[in-house]
Amino acid sequence: MSKAMGSERIGKVYKGGKTRARREWRGLRDTWYDYTRWLFIWKTMIGFMMNLNNIRGFFRYRWMANYLAVPDFLDRHTEGLRGPQLRIAHTEFDLIVAHMCDTMTTMFKADPLIGNDKKLSDSIVVFDENMMSQIMNGFPNLHMVCIQIPPVYTSSTMTQEGVIHYIDVAQEFGIPADVCPMPAAELGVAIDDDYPHIGKCAVQCNTTCDGSLMGNGLEARRYGIPTFQLPVPIRHTQDSVQDYAAEEIMNAIRFIEEQTGEKFDWDNYWKCMEVFNEETKQMLEWLELSRSPYPQVIGNNVALYRDATYQVAGGRDARFLDADREITRLGLEGYEKKCLCAPVVRHRAILWGVQAQYYTAFPLWLQNCWGILPLIDMLSLTSTRIFQTGDEKQALLDMAHLYQNMTMRNRSNGGYEVGVKDLWRFCESFKADMVIMYEHIGCKAMAGYHGIFEEQARERGIHLVWVTHGLMDPRAASRKDMRGEVSRYMRAVMGEAPLDPSLEDFDDSNAW
Amino acid sequence: MKDLKHLYYFENLLQEANNDLVRQAASEGRVAVGSVCSLVPEVLLSLPGCFGVRLRAPRTGSMEMGTYYMTSLLCECCRAILERAIEGGYKFLDCVIAPDACAQMNRCVENIDLQKLCDKEKFFVSYADVPMKSGDAALRHYVKQMRLRALDPLRDTFGVDTSDAALREAVARHNEVCRLITAIGDLRKEERPRITGYEFHVLCTATYCCPKDLLVEKLRETLGELKAREPAPEGAYRARVVMAGSELDSPDLVKLAEDSGALVVADRFCFGSLPGRQEIVLTEGEDVLTQICRQYLEQGQCPRYMDTAKINERKAYVDALAKEYRADGIVYEQMKFCDYWGYERAAASRIMREEFGYPVLSVDVPYVVGTNAQLRTRMQAFVESVEIKKIQGEAKR
Repeated sequence: MSKAMGSERIGKVYKGGKTRARREWRGLRDTWYDYTRWLFIWKTMIGFMMNLNNIRGFFRYRWMANYLAVPDFLDRHTEGLRGPQLRIAHTEFDLIVAHMCDTMTTMFKADPLIGNDKKLSDSIVVFDENMMSQIMNGFPNLHMVCIQIPPVYTSSTMTQEGVIHYIDVAQEFGIPADVCPMPAAELGVAIDDDYPHIGKCAVQCNTTCDGSLMGNGLEARRYGIPTFQLPVPIRHTQDSVQDYAAEEIMNAIRFIEEQTGEKFDWDNYWKCMEVFNEETKQMLEWLELSRSPYPQVIGNNVALYRDATYQVAGGRDARFLDADREITRLGLEGYEKKCLCAPVVRHRAILWGVQAQYYTAFPLWLQNCWGILPLIDMLSLTSTRIFQTGDEKQALLDMAHLYQNMTMRNRSNGGYEVGVKDLWRFCESFKADMVIMYEHIGCKAMAGYHGIFEEQARERGIHLVWVTHGLMDPRAASRKDMRGEVSRYMRAVMGEAPLDPSLEDFDDSNAW
Repeated sequence: MKDLKHLYYFENLLQEANNDLVRQAASEGRVAVGSVCSLVPEVLLSLPGCFGVRLRAPRTGSMEMGTYYMTSLLCECCRAILERAIEGGYKFLDCVIAPDACAQMNRCVENIDLQKLCDKEKFFVSYADVPMKSGDAALRHYVKQMRLRALDPLRDTFGVDTSDAALREAVARHNEVCRLITAIGDLRKEERPRITGYEFHVLCTATYCCPKDLLVEKLRETLGELKAREPAPEGAYRARVVMAGSELDSPDLVKLAEDSGALVVADRFCFGSLPGRQEIVLTEGEDVLTQICRQYLEQGQCPRYMDTAKINERKAYVDALAKEYRADGIVYEQMKFCDYWGYERAAASRIMREEFGYPVLSVDVPYVVGTNAQLRTRMQAFVESVEIKKIQGEAKR
């Protein structure tokens, strides 16, 4: 027990049940900091529950129970961290919690069953979960709500069994068990009538996969509001698809204008895109750090947060830019002090494929248990283009570019060049000797490259470690199963022993 | 009923991807264009000097290598096609023109491409982006993609004539086959059809995987034979069904249904004729490619089309078929692990039952159906349930 990273045996907190006592001694300064952030999260949550609408929402929607595990979520995602990395994690996750509270407060206020604020509801445009939001940068008077995020996406990250009920509902309806659990769970929420009936209209998108697209059609029946389907070209690297992509963006804008009576505000759009550009520049700084011998913004600290900034906030919420700048400052500070992200750095890894939502803390385990630095993940490797402002025609093409390069679909769609070839380019660029290859059982787009990945990794001498998971359904492959695949590889192929033996084999099947 | 004179001939054509007619056309110096999806209009692959072959993997046994490259959770059709490619079954192809329509089939084609499984000197694979909804913008995109990804590569690589005149010629030949298949298919509307679903499926599938012009004579002769054919005795089948769903490139499932007492009177599946074998109507004064693409876009019933109008249209179309072909029920089938049809089958089977009032059987099927006992049991049970409803007068429409 000391302030040194790796001084505690972290696995001791997992005793087979729910983890309720998990304070970690990180030295006086870091422990005190962590404790104050823990209090801050409770303050945010209590503040949220002081609102009568939110209390009613809590009892109306079964998925709300997952959010009781928010403090545990924070603890899981800061295990073993010290110094700048600890502060980066809290800067990010505290903001995400606050942002989620804002979103849910808006949803419940507009919900006819709860707040019944019709005016607010009429100012809401319902978006898909897996969808860029930059179109809404031109509608400052409207709210964009990614309706599936609170019930499904974040629910399953808070508690590993958070959406199992909804997956089962979808399967009882007749959806095959082999499809991706995410759209299945989203459909399950619709079947259970567990989406708030809010919004003036909805925009759906053909991101991220064939299953997601198909679930949308059924969900639209349940929304019961005018819905626009935005088809984004699949072969997004081809020049020949860009005009069509832009045309459909324009059609989506027209649809929102017609439904809400609002006019697209180009000035506000430019303003938001300037913020978005600044956020991208911060991201580029983090990536540059990750190419150095002393990466600072890696693993969990980039994966979930980048998703929120890039896709959901999209330049509209200035808090994210403030947080980004703070993260850059902390990252540079850590770099100058040559801080390491793991007790001992043994391998530099790229995480490829789709991460398990029920185990988003997995990269942290890689660091703490085996000294594998998860430098960057596939989902965070999205567009880093800096966009011009002032040219409306170009702006439509830019928006089209962003929608085509949405998180995940920019790699799972578009062909071999972006799905496989880019991986080897990133390995070289980040000086990675290892690839942690997530094999999400229901993701057929990535599974189609299975043999190609193996053959090409062998040719390049890169260690390719398969980690099988069920995205949102831990029954398919548990957290322990995921760890087991890495541990077996590290023992059998690499001949290495864990840095923290308590983390090699422990039971967290009943943990949140 | 008396056996059709050429049925054995057509059945034999389905035994190999590189069948007698494909070999004949290739030996005449024609370009063999492989396709994997109905979203690339067949007529573009059948321009003068070319012929289209929809890829199938008949007589598939093991698909171990396909499974290694694409895992056991990918669509069996895609794995079987990759397996056949690895075995060298498509070496006769001069190119593959593939839409990026479903991720799984796209991966299959990419594997064929990356592993260089077809080794003719000029062989290429072209990937087209095809629209996911109807409308003017989608049509313009479709036309552009077909020009860039289908016609131009054929012209540039093999010197194929892609002019409007050549397209019109291809459409005329295509329409000839469509007229014959439609005329044969229309016989299924009769009270006592003179053709079984199995026989029809054999004929229709052959038109997808052989040079069409080489089939015309035999199809014409078969139509003439059918017109004079004595239908099966009354009561030969216990129920009439529409079969709807994903790719069925072998007539095994239809045969299994008919062996169980369900006459398949309408084929609303990939490799079927509804839609797929409608004449392409061309007018003067408009770009021919645009007219072709428009009709494919308007007639397309693939669940990949995501707009609400198309989603609703799919159910209405099956309802219309059931009425037109006097079906007692609907069988929704889905190739195992197909995401599109996984959802569509689940939704449509409920909607057609609850909102349209049809008895519906919903099954997922392996690529190799053979004499699958579980499927047979389900089919038999479905036929019995339809029959009981008919007897009790409880079938509600």
